[in-house]
Amino acid sequence: MRLDGKGLPIVAVSTLTTAGLSGRGLGRRVFESNHPLPSEIDAPAPSRPEDVRQRKLMSRAAWFSTLVMRGALTEARWDEGRAEIGAFFGVGASGAEMDEVARLVAASMEDGRFSLARCGREGLDACNPLFAFQIMNNFTLCHGAILEGLGGPNAAFFSRGSGTVTALEEACASINAGACERALVGGADTALHPVTMAELEREGFLRQGLKPAEGAAALAIAATAEAPLGYVEAVRVFPVDRPRGALVPRTGVLRDAAVPAAFDALEDQPCDVVVLAPWGAPAREALMDLPEMLEAELSVDASLSLGESLAAAPALAWALALDLLVHLDKPRALVLSAGPDGDLGAVVLGKGGA
Amino acid sequence: MGARRAVITGVGAVSAFGVGYEALANGLAAGRSAVGPIRSFDARTFPTRVAGEVPIEKTNALFLEKHRGVLLHVGEAGTWEESGLLRDRKVCFGLVAAAEAWRHARCGTAERKGALSIGLGLEQAFLEDLAEELDEGEIRVGAGDLAGGEGVRFRSRVDLTAEKIRSVVGLSGRVAVHASACAAGGMAVAHAASLIERGAADAVLCGAADSMVNPLGIGGMSRLGAPSPRAEPSACRPFDRRRDGLVVGEGAAMFVVEEESRARARGAEPLAVIAGYATTQDAYRATAPRPDGSRALAAMERAVRRANLTPADVGYVNAHGTGTPLNDPAEAKAIRALFGDVPTSSIKGAVGHLMAAAGAIELAACLLAFTRDLLPGTAHFEEPDPECPINVIGPKPLAKRVDYVLSNSFGFGGQNVSVLLGRPR
Repeated sequence: MRLDGKGLPIVAVSTLTTAGLSGRGLGRRVFESNHPLPSEIDAPAPSRPEDVRQRKLMSRAAWFSTLVMRGALTEARWDEGRAEIGAFFGVGASGAEMDEVARLVAASMEDGRFSLARCGREGLDACNPLFAFQIMNNFTLCHGAILEGLGGPNAAFFSRGSGTVTALEEACASINAGACERALVGGADTALHPVTMAELEREGFLRQGLKPAEGAAALAIAATAEAPLGYVEAVRVFPVDRPRGALVPRTGVLRDAAVPAAFDALEDQPCDVVVLAPWGAPAREALMDLPEMLEAELSVDASLSLGESLAAAPALAWALALDLLVHLDKPRALVLSAGPDGDLGAVVLGKGGA
Repeated sequence: MGARRAVITGVGAVSAFGVGYEALANGLAAGRSAVGPIRSFDARTFPTRVAGEVPIEKTNALFLEKHRGVLLHVGEAGTWEESGLLRDRKVCFGLVAAAEAWRHARCGTAERKGALSIGLGLEQAFLEDLAEELDEGEIRVGAGDLAGGEGVRFRSRVDLTAEKIRSVVGLSGRVAVHASACAAGGMAVAHAASLIERGAADAVLCGAADSMVNPLGIGGMSRLGAPSPRAEPSACRPFDRRRDGLVVGEGAAMFVVEEESRARARGAEPLAVIAGYATTQDAYRATAPRPDGSRALAAMERAVRRANLTPADVGYVNAHGTGTPLNDPAEAKAIRALFGDVPTSSIKGAVGHLMAAAGAIELAACLLAFTRDLLPGTAHFEEPDPECPINVIGPKPLAKRVDYVLSNSFGFGGQNVSVLLGRPR
């Protein structure tokens, strides 16, 4: 989707990484090699009474999402009319607390084996009755929307990369169609959940250099704004062919798809900054020649600094690129994400006047 | 609205009435309910023992090969079964419904450039596999040696069904997986229409699949107190004064949605026009819908406005109608406020609550209004509730010709979607 004119204004940004919760500075920290390595994030604990209550129903990613949504709303100073603000997020896998699952399973064991009969009789009673709310994927979006009163158009896309780019595209489409004038868009996820780690291992991603991480980012975008941080000029998901049954495309195929995708997204306009978000070594190899082909002044591999946080990765890369544009006073950046879902996401960002 | 209109040209369904859209349509047309005792696992000790269960005990390669036909490669389903992929029932239901819709619309090579927009429920966790890793009260899973052995699956990924449909049908367009709980199916269809209208796609395979008829799904819902405590086929009674909860269902409904002029040019026959749609958020509580129904009302209002219609143009509302004490009065207030006395029903008493696939199966049910001039009934509705002051169609369907129908889906967490279908010209 190519946005008309300068694009859709980005009014605010909020990120949660190993460097903490912040509005700006992600690009500069990464550019100056001053960003803490990806690891488990020491997220701020809930302090407001309503947060404390609701946190018990939240997965880790849902809490991350709430924090960045609140951060973006605060920076945007969107205190009024929240019932009409939209929310579009890429969300990840179920983030069930393993302790809850273990309690349920342990109470369902009989003679050393899992017993369905015992599960029904005793196992279910051993876990939190509201456990189901923790595991619903869309609650990564909904908890933040509830706590911040966002009642506008919305969608939660399951994401291992391109779902988050779809969220941005749908937020832009929603604003363009007049369904809302303002929206929060982003992603929140943790690849450090034990079951997700097992999944990534079994799928072969860890062996190929995927560095599991966690994080969240939210952008506040609007139909109009004075002196915005930047603009979304174009956003698009590019599906990439893969052999039948394969999770991801071959490296050469991804490379061949990335070049036209980049030029298509840019529509022949020059690009000063390229931010890449490849999930691991094969994707990195596929994308590595792009900055030179695009004659970009600067390129950054977001995944090397931030790791692979699945649904959060593209949104963190957008925030990083936006910050670089502001910090280095450059006009345009291309963000190309290639997550473990195998597809490409291309987002073109322009510098604003803030 | 622009000149591009989205039309439905193919439909496929898997429900408690059986495999195939005709099974669903005939079951609803007969005013029957397909809710019954759970058979796919031994639920005798579970608080909930009835469901709108698809009438097969095991989803496996045999089931797929029987219903998938030529789209599967030889031995493919067997490989999936061996690696445990088919233990997640929604994978099979989604594949079968997608194939039926694809064939119904007589799609060919050109449509393979199309997109996929699908609503899917949460991951199915396999408790018996997790139990193997239980060690002194902790489940030890993770990277390396903790990732499990051959055939072990701790859970099935949310987008597994989408991955398989994309691969088997051979779609080369974009893929979107809606994870919006019970609103996901409606949202996936609305998204498909949006892609068509703005020229981002010419054809979209869309819909939803889900199954929570498994120990953790049924058990988790029971712990929330959402299902009716009565283990009877009549457990779910939407809008009835005696309603006391939902019944979990399972299945899938998939549609081929195309740009109208392109569809007609290739000889496809539209079953319905997707005339309008809108989403809102309750932004109220994680555990309950907004009691005044105001954000649900906003979604319905906006869907009508987007279709350039007035509420009086809408001849039937297919309600979310879960049969829970809290949902039905809130939704009824909103329906009454916007549409007055419009005939309204919920099919959840007949097929159960299909969760992520609810919106999709209910849109499939809405097609009866155009194909048979029938408005589906509300199974087990007997005693009107003053708290739900709307014109509820009783257990038998209502024979009536209408030109526009609206379907609501409201998700846990407060996500609301309304989709408005029109009779094709």
